[in-house]
Order: sequence, then C-alpha cells, then structure tokens
Amino acid sequence: LQVEVDENGKIVDARFKTFGCGSAIASSSLATEWVKGKTVDEALKIKNTDIAKELCLPPVKLHCSMLAEDAIKAALADYRLKQDPNKEESEKKA
Amino acid sequence: CVPQDPRVLDSMLPYLTAYYGNPHSRTHAYGWGGGGAPGKGTRQVADLIGADSREIIFTSGATESNNMAVKGVARFYKSRKKHIITTQTEHKCVLDSCRSLETEGFQVTYLPVKKNGLIDLKELEAAFQPDTSLVSVMTVNNEIGVKQPIHDIGEICRAHKVFFHTDAAQAVGKIPMDVNDMKIDLMSISGHKIYGPKGVGAIYVRRRPRVRLEPLQSGGGQERGLRSGTVPTPLAVGLGAACEVAQQEMEYDHKRISQLAERLVTKIMSEVPDVVMNGDREHRYPGCINLSFAYVEGESLLMALKDVALSSGSACTSASLEPSYVLRAIGTDEDLAHSSIRFGIGRFTTEEEVDYTVQKCIQHVKRLREMSPLWEMVQDGIDLKSIKWTQH
Repeated sequence: LQVEVDENGKIVDARFKTFGCGSAIASSSLATEWVKGKTVDEALKIKNTDIAKELCLPPVKLHCSMLAEDAIKAALADYRLKQDPNKEESEKKA
Repeated sequence: CVPQDPRVLDSMLPYLTAYYGNPHSRTHAYGWGGGGAPGKGTRQVADLIGADSREIIFTSGATESNNMAVKGVARFYKSRKKHIITTQTEHKCVLDSCRSLETEGFQVTYLPVKKNGLIDLKELEAAFQPDTSLVSVMTVNNEIGVKQPIHDIGEICRAHKVFFHTDAAQAVGKIPMDVNDMKIDLMSISGHKIYGPKGVGAIYVRRRPRVRLEPLQSGGGQERGLRSGTVPTPLAVGLGAACEVAQQEMEYDHKRISQLAERLVTKIMSEVPDVVMNGDREHRYPGCINLSFAYVEGESLLMALKDVALSSGSACTSASLEPSYVLRAIGTDEDLAHSSIRFGIGRFTTEEEVDYTVQKCIQHVKRLREMSPLWEMVQDGIDLKSIKWTQH
C-alpha cells in the first residue's frame, strides 16, 4: 500500500498492489478508497471488520480484510517513521 | 466439467421409461426386460479394459470403488497382512481410506513422487514388506495429468505376489488399458469421467488369481456378494454405453485432444513469460494441463475466467485454506502452488473454446501482473527470496 500525505497530515492519494484472491484485491482496493481524504489518525481507526462488512466477505475470506487493515497500519507507521526528523511531504511504500 | 455424451443418454432412456424391472427379479417379465441390461453393461466395461464381464461390479462411483479396493482387500487379509503401499498424490478417497485403515491398526507407506510427479520404482521395490497385502497407485493424476508407469508397477507387484490396485478414473476410455498386459488386480472406474452418467462407476476384481475382498456394504449378496444393493439399471446401461463409445472414439479423441492441448500451452507460453507446467511433459494424459502463472494468484485468475470451467491448486480456493497437496508432493514452490490453474480438455472441447480461454487467460494474467507487487519487484530486479514478509 502506498500513501501520499500532505503537510497537514491528510492522505491525498493511495495506491495498492496485491498478490491474492479476489477478496484480497477487493479489500486492498476498498482500503485505498477509504483512506483518501482522511487524516493519518482517522485512517488508523479503519477496522478489518468494517471492510469485511462493506464487501460482505464470507467467513473463509475474513483474513483478507485483515490484510488490508494491516497494510494501512504498516504504511502509516512507515510514514510516521520517515517524518522523524523531517516534516516534509513524502511518498511512502509499505 | 464433463458433459454426458448424447449417445449415452440415448442408451439409458428406455431403462428410465419402459423397462423398469428389477434386474435381479428372475420370476417375472419385468425383471426379464430389465435383467439382461446390466449384463451387457459389464461386457462393455470389460471389453474396454481387457477383462471378463464376471470381473466387473457396478458401484456408485470411483470413490466407492476405491474404498472397496483399499479397505476391502486390507481387511480381508488382515490376519496375516497389515501393510499397504500407496503414493502421496492419490485422490483424497484413497488417501482417506488409508488413514481410516491406520486407525484400525494397519501400517501404510505413502511413497513420495519425483519432481515430475512420477514414483521412483526403486523406492517402490524397497517399500515391500513380508506383510504387504496391497499396492494402490493411480494411473493418471486428476490434478496434473501425469501417467504412472503402470506396466512396470504391475510387474513388480506380481514378482512380490502382492495385489495391485489402480484408480483409473482419469485413464479408462482415454488411454488403452489392459488388466492382463498391465498385471492389474483391481481397478476403479468412474462413469461421469468418461462422458457417462453421474452416480455410477465400477470396480474390476480379478478372478484368476482370485482377489478376495471384504464387502463394504452388507445385504442381499448381489454382485458375487461383493457389493449388495440393486444394480441401478439405467446407470449401468449408461456406463456400459459410455465405455463402448470410448473404445470407438479413443484414438480420434486422443489425437484431437493432444492437438488442442498443444495449441493451448504453446499459445499461452509464447505470449506470457514465467509460466510453469506442473508434472512431467511426456508421461501424461494431454487433456489435463496444470500451469502455474508466477506472480499471479490462482483464485483471482479463476474469477477473471469465470465463464470457463477451470480449477486451481491455490489455498484461496479450498475451504480448508490449504494449497494443493499434489503440487506440494512434486515440490512446487509455495508461491507457484498458489498460482496454479488446471485446464481440462475433452471430447467436446472445441477449438473456439480453447482460443477463447487462451485469449482471456493472456489478457487477465497481464492485468493481474500489473496489480501484483511481486511482478513489480521482479521487474525491478529484486530477488523475491530476499524479502522479509510480515507474518500474520
């Protein structure tokens, strides 16, 4: 998951690449749609259960939504890491 | 996805409408009308495999036949023999039957296979014990299409005086099978795999030298006491007809299917890089092709090709989230196992269907690779094996 964050801490763009089944691809895609326009803190609140509910994922595919939640957290953690000590706009790869 | 041959349906219809007598009732005309039919069916099945009609028993399908062969033989000889040899790539019903026997106190050797999917004959030789009662090796594998060296296995089993069973569900009617030539003692046959009806199969049980087995089903003693239950006449007739048709069409079908398979594989591999064929290139049945498309996951490709009947060895497609055990047995890299697709080409597959499938496959593999982080990393020259993935 790749996110672009502006100087105000707002996510202005997000892109994904996924090696996985249809549910994994859908979960990743939905994640990028949801984080756009949110602040980093708001985006960190997204839960895998929200993604699963939106996509009506069957029980056997629940872990795909977990993949998406983890990717959001990892991307934003990586962004936070790179903010120290710079406060510039940066493009991160998760 | 195997359709029924219309000639098979034609043969069955009279027995679903007019001739409905119980084939085992010998005292009235209804029985006489229905009675001879299963007999003819056994002759047609027997002819296809070089057996005697008295050695053919109708079952509900190859699953039942496999259960009968494995459990039946093992249990009959259990007072003196408690060991069975099979392979790691058998159909689930054979493997499950073996597991079940293990809980009964039997010992089972699951032979590994080489990277090409074939067993090592030396390992088979070494596996024999004085108390081995049965060897069970499938002729053609349903996932990767490889063909085991049945002639050689038969010879080895004969030399050791151990019964040889083969699950021939994917082979009968498609490649020449001869129980005497191949020294086969038991064989499982599936109706719907050879364009016959679902719900019926057969088991070949050798009479000379006599193979004994403990029946799975108790009852009225039909089928030489080996499989009680009224023989389903229309289905038996259908299976017989399917075998007769298969014998007529075998050579032509094989040639046509080989050409279509070659067409599919060549076209895909010439347009798309990093495609691996799973299983030996030579010792195979051409109609079952298993390809791994690196950096693309199987279920996502299946979804894209949803108007074509295909399957995948990917974990995502199984309810247990386990990848294909057959691919694991041939040593396929885990990523490639998740990227596998099985293509089935048969008597009714047209050239248009093959071309359509190829075109869609190429299109979607390219699309999914654009979406794949693995493909991107490889293009950038990164060694995927050096990546540290986050665990979940």
